[in-house]
Amino acid sequence: MTEYAVRMRKITKRFGALIANDHISLDLRWGSIHGLLGENGAGKTTLMNILYGLYHPDQGEIEVDGHPVRIDSPLQAMELDIGMVHQHFMLVRPFTVTENIVLGLPSARRPFLDLKAATRRIEELSAKYQLKIDPSARIWQLSVGEAQRVEILKNIYLDTRILILDEPTTVLTPQEIRELFEIMRLMKADGKSIILITHKLEEILAVTDEISVLRAGKLVGNTPTDRTTRNELTRMMVGRNVLFDFSRKRTRPGRAVLKARRVSALGDKGLPALREVSFEVRKGEILGVAGVAGNGQKELCQVLSGLRPVTSGRVFLGERDFTNRPPKEFIDNQMAYIPEDRQETGLVMEAGLTKNFIIKNFDRRPFSRRGFLNGPAVKKNAGQLIEEFNIKTVSGQARAKELSGGNQQKVVLAREISSKPKILIANQPTHGLDVGATEYVRQCLLDQRGEGVGVLLISADLDEIFQLSDRIAVIFKGEIMDIIDRPDAQLELVGRLMAGSREEGAA
Amino acid sequence: MKSGAGRTARILPAVLPPLISVLLAFIVGGLLLILLGYNPLEAYAMLFRGAFGSTNRICEILVKAAPLIILALGISIAFKSQIWNIGGDGQFTIGAIFSVWVALNVGLPPVLLAPLTFLAAFAGGAFWGGIAGLLKSRFNANEVITTLMLNYIAVYILGWLVLGPMMDPAGHGFPQTQLVGEALRMPILIAHTRLHGGIILALIMVVLIYFFWKTTLGFRIELVGKSVKVARYAGINVPRTMVLTMVISGGMAGIAGWCEVFGIHYRLLDHLAAGYGYLAIVVALLADLNPIGIIISAFFFSALMVGGATMERMAGIPFSLVDIIEGLVIIFVISRVIYTRWRGDRA
Repeated sequence: MTEYAVRMRKITKRFGALIANDHISLDLRWGSIHGLLGENGAGKTTLMNILYGLYHPDQGEIEVDGHPVRIDSPLQAMELDIGMVHQHFMLVRPFTVTENIVLGLPSARRPFLDLKAATRRIEELSAKYQLKIDPSARIWQLSVGEAQRVEILKNIYLDTRILILDEPTTVLTPQEIRELFEIMRLMKADGKSIILITHKLEEILAVTDEISVLRAGKLVGNTPTDRTTRNELTRMMVGRNVLFDFSRKRTRPGRAVLKARRVSALGDKGLPALREVSFEVRKGEILGVAGVAGNGQKELCQVLSGLRPVTSGRVFLGERDFTNRPPKEFIDNQMAYIPEDRQETGLVMEAGLTKNFIIKNFDRRPFSRRGFLNGPAVKKNAGQLIEEFNIKTVSGQARAKELSGGNQQKVVLAREISSKPKILIANQPTHGLDVGATEYVRQCLLDQRGEGVGVLLISADLDEIFQLSDRIAVIFKGEIMDIIDRPDAQLELVGRLMAGSREEGAA
Repeated sequence: MKSGAGRTARILPAVLPPLISVLLAFIVGGLLLILLGYNPLEAYAMLFRGAFGSTNRICEILVKAAPLIILALGISIAFKSQIWNIGGDGQFTIGAIFSVWVALNVGLPPVLLAPLTFLAAFAGGAFWGGIAGLLKSRFNANEVITTLMLNYIAVYILGWLVLGPMMDPAGHGFPQTQLVGEALRMPILIAHTRLHGGIILALIMVVLIYFFWKTTLGFRIELVGKSVKVARYAGINVPRTMVLTMVISGGMAGIAGWCEVFGIHYRLLDHLAAGYGYLAIVVALLADLNPIGIIISAFFFSALMVGGATMERMAGIPFSLVDIIEGLVIIFVISRVIYTRWRGDRA
């Protein structure tokens, strides 16, 4: 056995114009847990899908246990003892744990299944790794955490020696996360190697031996875990390379147009997602909210636009209390909102652009006339917006899903800005966009600020926050850590706050 | 101006798949006939002659098509909104009950009473559909289950009424109500047939639905059907829209019930709906929810029923053949939907 379980050399993978992996090298030692850290879209999953044979790299080499290999399919990966647990489980829900595990495997008693022997072995392995799985339980009866352990058990059963876990903790409760880490340590003690994909710092610091950080498709750092700090990792993850220079006109912010007063709310799983959040956005300013994704940003936007109920605290538009009012009232009071997931929330992917442009104001003039849609006005609106925002499409009839990501975002932007808002909430507005579209979107936000709109910009991209914001708030675990004026904001300070530490100079 | 060729190029892809589904259903049905020892060509010839052999039979087709069209239009509204209203039968039945009750118990001149019965039918169906809509929006109760259960409740209510409180006292114990006044009945279009004004009503409904999808309400319903998430984000009150969708969908079924009662029976009978609500689902699906398509597919299934009855009488081939073809059409239509979705996923 050589020192390394896997060595990936200068792996490059392109999807059209997008370079998902740009000459990435990664070494995984036997008997170690290797953290692969990076934000959404940094290229972590792509890299691991290459190792698992789901994608083929455009360039680069892979060695497994010292031998150069070509992995064209997951089947070949499995033959090399490489296993992967995806974010979405690949389990047959009506089947039992045992049935799922032996699915597709040769049986000793062919053509019959040997479920008894399999069950016995599963029980043994489950006990050994403290997985606490009942082999006769059916998948649909299991919690998400248990289903995940079944996936891991399946890999152990297959004698997987190199296991890839893709964001395994996003679906787990804190207790389940602790249990998962325990299982991972037991596997490591057995000489197995694990790659943990995540964007959560604490997890990576808690369980890994070595960390590689990806950013925008590039490897930006590699370090033993005990020789790094949260702050350093945060900095590597969000980076600091100024892409563009924007001329920011000086504006004098006016009165507050949007206020949150000690707002708390629950997340989708019923756990607290926002804790006593307070801030105000003033006319003609951009308030940037910095934070690593998944710290309550989505919930914050939903609360501020009426899509999620507030459990305590108040939301004001201007001086008026809008706490827990329906979304319609926020829209009618000139709030525009660019959601973080344009393909799920922002657009009807199956509908034409013409329709997507009017989803918020189809019931108002000129689009509605005596209860009927005004066809010519709707069409004219689409033509104007396509031209004004330079949206690349064959026609207004084209469906949203036929457009590129950048142009989809322009459709959302066009619709929201053309509603002449007083408040604009933009959540990760440039996420997944190429350089050109990113620049366009950022300029649009600055223009809106110049026209006196109060902009709330939520972004995990520190460049974006520093380029655009007049004031910077930092969110961590649903709390606003601090709000700093842009001239006083230093990268180190913001990075530290993003990592959750308030003390000056603390690591 | 759109050229004729351009129009054909657009219509063909829409028309071809349902035609192929029907054709495949007939081919598989034919194979079954051979297995059972019948000559399929003979059987189909008999089916065709049975359906179109005389004016009377063609009129019967139209009589059956009228309520089917109206029901299928109602169902298409719900389906477009991704609400699976299986409750056409129940809504049809309650609509009929409401309208007959009004006709028998409200003392107004026919000029006023006739429209009132029509409105009552809509209200009855809307009420029954609205219950399912409310259960869905309030408690997230699956509408497939609730509408199906409401069908049974409606059928039993009807059974109880025609044997109890609303039974015709002079009806020799038959499970039926008194006849509604003659002035309230729909006119017969062709003498000595049962062809009544219902088919015209159905065509008017098609036009109305065409315009319905151009209203802001239609847009709202469509948007909720396309994505609940986007609809919520766009400020639409999704629960209220869902209830409203079911109210309109059910109301249409109620009108179909009115059409059947005031066009043919002139009274309530036990088991009035007789599975029309389910057949209408097939009609709507085969037509891909398109209003014009619904006319054609309703006509097709009506012809199948009328022809099948004659075929059974004349050639001894069981009417079940018609049921089998209906079932096969559903299978092929759904297979196609799943196939295109599967291909879409991979693309």
